[in-house]
Amino acid sequence: MKIVLILSQLVFFIILSPLLSGLISKIKNNLRMRRGQSILQPYYNLIKLFSKGQVVSQTTSWIFGITPVVVIASALAGSLLAPVFTFPTSMHLAGDFLALIFIFTLGRFFLSLAALDAGSSFGGMGSSREMFISSLVEPALCLTVFSLFLQFGSTDISSFNAVKTVSVSSIVGAIALFMVAIAETSRIPVDNQETHLELTMIHEAMTLEYSGRSLALIEMAAYIKQLIWFFLIAQIIFPMSVLNPSSLSGLFLWGFYYIIRILVIAVVMAVVEVSVAKMRLFRVTDFLGFVFVLGLIATICAILRV
Amino acid sequence: MQFIILFSLLISTYLMLIAKRTPALIRGFRYQSLCLFLVTFMVALGQSEPDLYIVAFFLFALKVIFIPQLLYRTSKKIKANEDLGLFINPQLSLLWALGFTYLSWKFSLNLISPGSEIKAIMLTIAFFTVLAGIFLMISRMTALAQIVGLLVMENGIFLLASSITGGMPFFVEIAIFFDVFVSVLIMGFFVYRINKFFTHIDVNKLSRLKG
Amino acid sequence: MENLNFTLLFDPLGIFFILVILLISLPSAVYSLGYLKGEYSPAKITLGWFLLGFFILSMGLVVSVSNIFFFLIAWELMSLVSYFLVVFDTGHEKSIQAGTIYIVMTHLGSAFLVAAFMLLYQQAHSFDFTAIKNACLVMPGKTKNIIFLLLLVGFGTKAGIVPLHIWLPYAHPQAPSHISSIMSGVMIKTAIYGIIRFTIFILGVNSWWWGVLILVLATITCLVGVIYALMERDLKRLLAYSSVENIGMIFLGVGLTMLFISLKLPYLAVLALVAALYHLINHAIFKGLLFLCAGSLYKATGTRDIEKLGGLIKKMPQTAICFLLGAMAISALPPLNGFASEWLMLQAFFLGAFKLTGGMKLFLGICASMLALTSGLVAACFVKAFGITFLAQPRSHYAQEAKEAPLSMRAGMFFLAFLTVIFGIGACFIIKLLAKVASAAMNIDISGMNFALNNFTLGLKSGKEVYLSTPVIALLLIGLALAVFIVYRLFNRRKTSLYQTWDCGYYKITPRNEYTATAFSKPFRLAFSFFLLPYRKTQKIRESFYQVKSFAYETYTTPVFKKYVYQPLLAWVLGSAKFMRRIQPGSIHLYLAYIFFVLLLLIIFMPKF
Repeated sequence: MKIVLILSQLVFFIILSPLLSGLISKIKNNLRMRRGQSILQPYYNLIKLFSKGQVVSQTTSWIFGITPVVVIASALAGSLLAPVFTFPTSMHLAGDFLALIFIFTLGRFFLSLAALDAGSSFGGMGSSREMFISSLVEPALCLTVFSLFLQFGSTDISSFNAVKTVSVSSIVGAIALFMVAIAETSRIPVDNQETHLELTMIHEAMTLEYSGRSLALIEMAAYIKQLIWFFLIAQIIFPMSVLNPSSLSGLFLWGFYYIIRILVIAVVMAVVEVSVAKMRLFRVTDFLGFVFVLGLIATICAILRV
Repeated sequence: MQFIILFSLLISTYLMLIAKRTPALIRGFRYQSLCLFLVTFMVALGQSEPDLYIVAFFLFALKVIFIPQLLYRTSKKIKANEDLGLFINPQLSLLWALGFTYLSWKFSLNLISPGSEIKAIMLTIAFFTVLAGIFLMISRMTALAQIVGLLVMENGIFLLASSITGGMPFFVEIAIFFDVFVSVLIMGFFVYRINKFFTHIDVNKLSRLKG
Repeated sequence: MENLNFTLLFDPLGIFFILVILLISLPSAVYSLGYLKGEYSPAKITLGWFLLGFFILSMGLVVSVSNIFFFLIAWELMSLVSYFLVVFDTGHEKSIQAGTIYIVMTHLGSAFLVAAFMLLYQQAHSFDFTAIKNACLVMPGKTKNIIFLLLLVGFGTKAGIVPLHIWLPYAHPQAPSHISSIMSGVMIKTAIYGIIRFTIFILGVNSWWWGVLILVLATITCLVGVIYALMERDLKRLLAYSSVENIGMIFLGVGLTMLFISLKLPYLAVLALVAALYHLINHAIFKGLLFLCAGSLYKATGTRDIEKLGGLIKKMPQTAICFLLGAMAISALPPLNGFASEWLMLQAFFLGAFKLTGGMKLFLGICASMLALTSGLVAACFVKAFGITFLAQPRSHYAQEAKEAPLSMRAGMFFLAFLTVIFGIGACFIIKLLAKVASAAMNIDISGMNFALNNFTLGLKSGKEVYLSTPVIALLLIGLALAVFIVYRLFNRRKTSLYQTWDCGYYKITPRNEYTATAFSKPFRLAFSFFLLPYRKTQKIRESFYQVKSFAYETYTTPVFKKYVYQPLLAWVLGSAKFMRRIQPGSIHLYLAYIFFVLLLLIIFMPKF
């Protein structure tokens, strides 16, 4: 039974994560008064990339080859810890939120190394900026997790289902997590996923040398990470425990609620991306400092039991 | 009788302090040692211990004859001028010496119970001699004066010991004599060497060696 | 003076530390077989072996004597022998300078230790640990505070707490690499042993501010260490600063332990001490490994400057993989040992905050977030260290002629790399053992406490339960990777073509185009410029107004502690010494006059005595 659950969770993530990305770009394009690409475009991209050959640089080593596998393995391992289907989560004995953060760090570490491996300035720049932003995200994220911990009693992701009401602390915490998700999933205002200008790209710069199947794997990993973050944020603001499906209509309501909460966050993300401009790298420190302050407020609210 | 000898000891010390040239200093030292010998001899006569005779004899041999001779010879070998190099001129030195005498008198009055006057006087003169020795070392520039000052101090300590305690143990006395003799030999030699190297024995100029 | 009997005490804490010592010293000793071979004359190599044996013996003595007199002797012996090992390479002037700074700082610490021990002896009238422990039960609070502060400074100098850490970046790079690994892996941990033994075991923690003070100092140490490590381009200095940072992390655990003991929370106290000890042994393993790899790099290329290296992963593949494992371990990546101890430490903070009140909760939360910040910065630092040293193309001739390390060196490195994996996956076993050590160190009964669910999963319970299972994570990662790899291979067998790196159409891409270490750490230099106070100098040589022939760029970071703490102190000491010199003009007459006038004064005033 456990195996079925795990496999279905993996399949769910692999299949549905590009859809989320396509959805967000569709909403963005609508806000920009364009028709834009179809929702299924990421799938088309991935299929195209899988069917193409690769060009690998001569200066690279085996790290370059192993990185896509490590990155997607870490993303999939993280997806098993995410709050998707059941509570307690299928792998709650394996790790908690902190373990999830460290698993993401594993993927990021290898991606940065692979970027340096190619020996071009693009890779070095992307790698340096990525490590810079991720290391500044860590304290804000940790403080937010701390506030969640104070509220839920444990950093185990299964415990995020414990409270039935949403307090000020969890709302502020969720906003902080949202901003952290912007940084982690490389969205405006931290990084632009649609650009290839060297002054503006961070995640794209690290994946510049990749092509073909490797690039497909890395893109997939990015989509999966994004979906994990969305699920986490959704669980905190819109906990699934508010509904208890007892009848068939209740089940429909439950399913509707399940999908709607992700959509709401996707819409908010799209609106944020469209409305603000990408920040300069050293303005990102101010942004992340603000997230730290939000985490601090969430902690204080959790201490005061507000 | 003893009083006369003690006072001549005092006078000889004063003579040393107002000496402007090296032979005068050594002469003063000689007189002082002679007086000291006479004092010791008289005490030896009074107590008729053979130890004290031997000590007195040694005193005469070393401090009246040998050591001044050595010092004369060293100062001749140096061939430099015999100027002692005074920091404090003779008149002021005499004033200081009078001050020291008064100080030692007051000091010894504190120590000695009233009754033995002669002991008080001996203590005063002994103590004054020690102070005069240090004063010589401070206020004269040349190395020979330092040696003589050391010897005067030693005289003073000898007098101190013999006046208060009735003499130090025999062997200690003999040992001290030999020590003094050897150290004067060495110091004389070194003064000669210093002069050969620096062409002067002005100790004050040693501060130029400071790092 | 009572008779001092030289007894050795082998309680769990001491045995644990002896294990750490042996675990790191043995691979380093094997490593030194190959390392010292071509470098020095056989006589000097024999001297090196003798000193190494003596060093290990002295460290073993430090952690096993039960008498403060012999503790001091063993401590001084350890410092002295390590001084000789630091200046082993007497050819370089920098080694001598490093040795001087090291010996001065370590004796400063020993002075404080002697003061603390004298106070303890005065209270207990005995040198023995158990007698002192009994006396400490009735000691007044103020004396305990003074002794604690003296011990903190004394042991902190050896451990490398900021601002007493300045000897570390000098001494560790200059020592031969196997000695650096032992010093960084084990010797600075003996200071932690000292703190645990003397403060927790003997003095007994009663005031909560002790723990808070250590937490604050440890947080500052972590941050300062890692920020300086990020700026370094000398590989061994980078590792030395990183040691400072990890010592800060271990002290975080120790501070938490003291806090929890003083607040009478036994489960959390044991948990915090277990986290500290686990991080201690993990750091010993992976830092030892990293120093050994740095040594093999130095031996192969002749330079420690990573800006001159590059592309070594193809020339020294086995060293590269050991260094990669060490870098992954220190950046706390699952499933290696650094991850397990970092997770445990964070959980200790969190669970502790659950049980405390108000302001302390916030304080612990902020400390935990600073811990997270340092772990992020450490990951950045080691991406830089590994990436610039091993990847891309060689940046200079030093790296082009590198050869793989000899077998003995590789054996030492592989053993430690193997240990990082074992200690990560076997986290549960290790934590169960460490719980026993911690309970012995604090005299707390752990029979009712549960740290692990079964042999593979850690389960901590304070309120609700939280789990971690490193073997499962390892299995997940490896299983998924294999699955992906198989799918990857199956999916498309179209050929992969090799070509040059994308160079934007620029026809001549050289190693000069690669990123340098200074460039990599530039965002950090700018973000932390309030602390680092960097200054830079640029120089353009122009042929004409429009044509620049060459451009020189230099940037430095100000060594803040050296410039603002130690140099003013030294200047003050030397200035007052110079002032005092004026009473010594070198004139004999003046010196005699001093004596004479004192004598006169005594005579005049003697009746008053």
